[in-house]
Amino acid sequence: MKFVQLKRGLRAGALAASVLATGMAGAPYAMAQAKTSVQLGAIEVLSGPNAKYGVSIKSGFDLALSEINAAGGVLGAPLAIHYEDSAGNKDQAVNAVRKLIGADKVSLILGPTLSGEMFAAGPVANAQKIPIVGTSTTANGITALGNYVFRTSLPESDVVPVTLKAARDKLGVKKVAVMYGNDDAFTKSGYDVMKAALTKLGIETLTTETFGGKDTDFSAQLTKIKAMNPDAIVVSALVQAGAGIMLEKKALGFSDKVRIIGGNGLNSPKIGEIAGAAANGTLVGSPWFVGKQDAANVKFVGAYKAKYNAEPDQFAAQAYDTLFIVAKAITAAGAADPQKIRDALVNVKYSGVLGPSAFTADRNPADTSGVVVLEMEDGKFAPLK
Amino acid sequence: MLGQQLLNGVVLGAVYALFALGFTLIFGVLGVINLTYGFYFSAGAFLALYFTQGLGISMMLALLLAGIVTGGIAVILDGLLLTPLRRAKAPELASLMVTLGATLFLYSLMSAYFGTDIRRLPPKVFTNVGFNWLGLHIETSQLLILVTMVVIVSGLGWLTQRTRMGLAIRALAENGTAAQLAGINAGAVTRIVSFLSGGIGGLAGVLIGMNYNAIEPYMGEQMMLKGFAVVIMGGLGNIRGALVAGLMLGVLETLTAGYIGSSLKDAVGFGLAVLTLWVRPVGLFGRATIKRA
Amino acid sequence: MSAFFANLLFTYQSLIYGLGINAILGLSMYVVLAIGQLSLGQAAFMGVGAYASSLLSVKLGLSFPVVLVAAAGVPAMLALLVSVPTLRLSGVYLAIATIGLGEVLRLFYVNWDYAGGALGLSGIPDRGGFFTIFGTLALLLAAAFAVGRSRIGRAMEAIREDEQAAGVMGIDVPRYKLAALVISAAIAGIAGAYNAHVTAFIAPGDYAFDNAVTILSYALLGGIGSPLGPVFGAFLLTALPELLRPLHDYRLVLNGLIIVSVVIFMPRGLFSWHMRRIGAAK
Repeated sequence: MKFVQLKRGLRAGALAASVLATGMAGAPYAMAQAKTSVQLGAIEVLSGPNAKYGVSIKSGFDLALSEINAAGGVLGAPLAIHYEDSAGNKDQAVNAVRKLIGADKVSLILGPTLSGEMFAAGPVANAQKIPIVGTSTTANGITALGNYVFRTSLPESDVVPVTLKAARDKLGVKKVAVMYGNDDAFTKSGYDVMKAALTKLGIETLTTETFGGKDTDFSAQLTKIKAMNPDAIVVSALVQAGAGIMLEKKALGFSDKVRIIGGNGLNSPKIGEIAGAAANGTLVGSPWFVGKQDAANVKFVGAYKAKYNAEPDQFAAQAYDTLFIVAKAITAAGAADPQKIRDALVNVKYSGVLGPSAFTADRNPADTSGVVVLEMEDGKFAPLK
Repeated sequence: MLGQQLLNGVVLGAVYALFALGFTLIFGVLGVINLTYGFYFSAGAFLALYFTQGLGISMMLALLLAGIVTGGIAVILDGLLLTPLRRAKAPELASLMVTLGATLFLYSLMSAYFGTDIRRLPPKVFTNVGFNWLGLHIETSQLLILVTMVVIVSGLGWLTQRTRMGLAIRALAENGTAAQLAGINAGAVTRIVSFLSGGIGGLAGVLIGMNYNAIEPYMGEQMMLKGFAVVIMGGLGNIRGALVAGLMLGVLETLTAGYIGSSLKDAVGFGLAVLTLWVRPVGLFGRATIKRA
Repeated sequence: MSAFFANLLFTYQSLIYGLGINAILGLSMYVVLAIGQLSLGQAAFMGVGAYASSLLSVKLGLSFPVVLVAAAGVPAMLALLVSVPTLRLSGVYLAIATIGLGEVLRLFYVNWDYAGGALGLSGIPDRGGFFTIFGTLALLLAAAFAVGRSRIGRAMEAIREDEQAAGVMGIDVPRYKLAALVISAAIAGIAGAYNAHVTAFIAPGDYAFDNAVTILSYALLGGIGSPLGPVFGAFLLTALPELLRPLHDYRLVLNGLIIVSVVIFMPRGLFSWHMRRIGAAK
């Protein structure tokens, strides 16, 4: 008898413990449901040297968020975004994913901003089967991280060939020199794409020069390039180094006919601000530019200017579209369930400021028809005539 | 093209030499590795930016003023950080550690305040004019660098070899205790040396900021790594060695980028420094009097 | 309860692992400082360990214990190459010979396409974990105490206090210095391997000079009177930034301030207890 009682006592204790456990583990879920809103997470670079990208992206999300919630939200409840700052550091990006999944119980994660952060953070979300959607990660191999990793930004491999083809066909560029930042994941993978595209288009590469992302002295490389007399210089760089190359090129007395052809890294109005007249003639390809004249874009640019008193950039535009795509997928999924959202994302079709968009089977953007080639003229990018 | 690359190399080397000069001067006389030295380089460039853009002072005057102010900062930092350690007769590495901490503090404060974006001198303040001479393309800032280096080097030579103050500096460098016994005011000489080296570091920063028209907080840290290579190659504390090694490094780096591969450019300095340590640890022109363990 | 703890461990995994790994790095710094030398290459050695072990795991699929041997061995060889010429010179030379090491290795990784170049190395298998990391830490601490209390430990302290006197007393100073640096590089390499195998991704810029300075600040803050000092220093400085998250850009400012004030005002560190030795005058 005594033995049975003891056993029963043990069982009761175990039961109490398990109730306690489910109670505690379940608490965040219960709280999230009590708010009755759909919880999303976003990891962006909001401080440090790369904060300008993350802040633009956040502005794009916030504008879309207010429009979506003003129109009634999703699944009859408002949408909410938990922001986490990664400061451009991959360890902090991983911490943020863990916190968003473990503590905030989000259904989907937006970001992170940089490709290097995605390489560290993506696998963590993927292993937990939480969809993670990059809006600015253009490096090769991002979506190969797993079935839950998506991106809405066109990879460089879809944009750069279009730019180079336009340079060959419209401007008669036949032989080029290539320069790239070899110590940065973004500029290096941009270079890989350029190299492949140049070979495919039959454009001759006279020389390939490298530099470091923090370099300020490009005179040795450009002196060598000048002696080879190329038709154009193809550059994979971020804004700072790119502007430095343009200034040095002008100082060394290159002909104005020798243009800089860049990747996504140079697609920023800052290039014109820093390099001034030296930036004129620079070519970049982009799925979007601020002066795009369709109804959706005019409305977006107007609303953005009204809210932030500044012009949107490509990062804001991409973020803006992405949140609408995600909202549409959640509606299609019918529940704030990560697995159902993932399955709905794969099939979602949406048309926004960047034009029509959908995902390929490997979760990259499917539609590349919107890419236009832009030319820098007096500090602003305009379509190449 | 070789002539042009050599010119690029000599200009770059002149900046390395000028920078290393101030650094090696501190070590030669005061016997400490002062890591805050790289900060004077960044500070000089930022001060020149402020003087020209904020206060509307002409570029030449700003160059001079920036040198004087960074010299002053160097005196203050030496007084705050190193004088207490000297008084406590702390081990040699303590001064290295304290300046290391101070450097981290100063750089991160600076980048938190100014951001890490590259800043540029506005065209109305300073425009580089290029002209051609004997088939070479030369810019005004490049000429200015070469002229400043010659002026500083001859001035420093005159000061240390021909004046009473120079005698005191050399005495302190040779043997601190003996110099003090002979009635030399070590505190005053320390301040003068700090001022000179801080000023030289600041000037180098302004000049390179002008030449590449790029100014950012961590520019001194990049420079410091080259500075170490130069002073190891030239021999710690050796002024003539710093000059020759600086010019040599600049030319070799440029030739490497121009003829071998630009990705190897930044490894040249470190490679030569390690080689020097293996083959001839006292440096190219070192006397064998370097303090041994 | 297990679900709750599993969730807690998932959410704070990086922090918990970081405490252990940084404590190991603090110990690696301690080994050099205990002999009165200064190495500014600890982050670089950590990186070499991380790269060597990750390449063997990813490319050759070797088992973790084998990989760890390389993680310790390769940085040790590198330490030998850099430090031998500086052994007979003053301590300043070792410090400045190692100061550029991180930067030159970064350039090396960036140009090494087999190791992923600038893109870094991703897909590193998840190995090690909680018990491996903290088990190693406990083992290293025990070893540090055992060595510290032995004849070797006394010789090390003698060198730290007065190198010349120690030499006169018949201690083979260069050999001790070399051994200390090589062992410390091996320990840092193991920490690098653990870190790489729990974060899945490494990149050339992860082992920069700032990290070397941070590792130094663990040891200086904790004090080098006892191996426990650097371990507690590392715990404090790893947990602190998480607590002081709002500091953002000013975190490194704090690190710098700690180093300056400790060296000037508390040369013995925050935890200034001293290891007790057999025969020590008390």
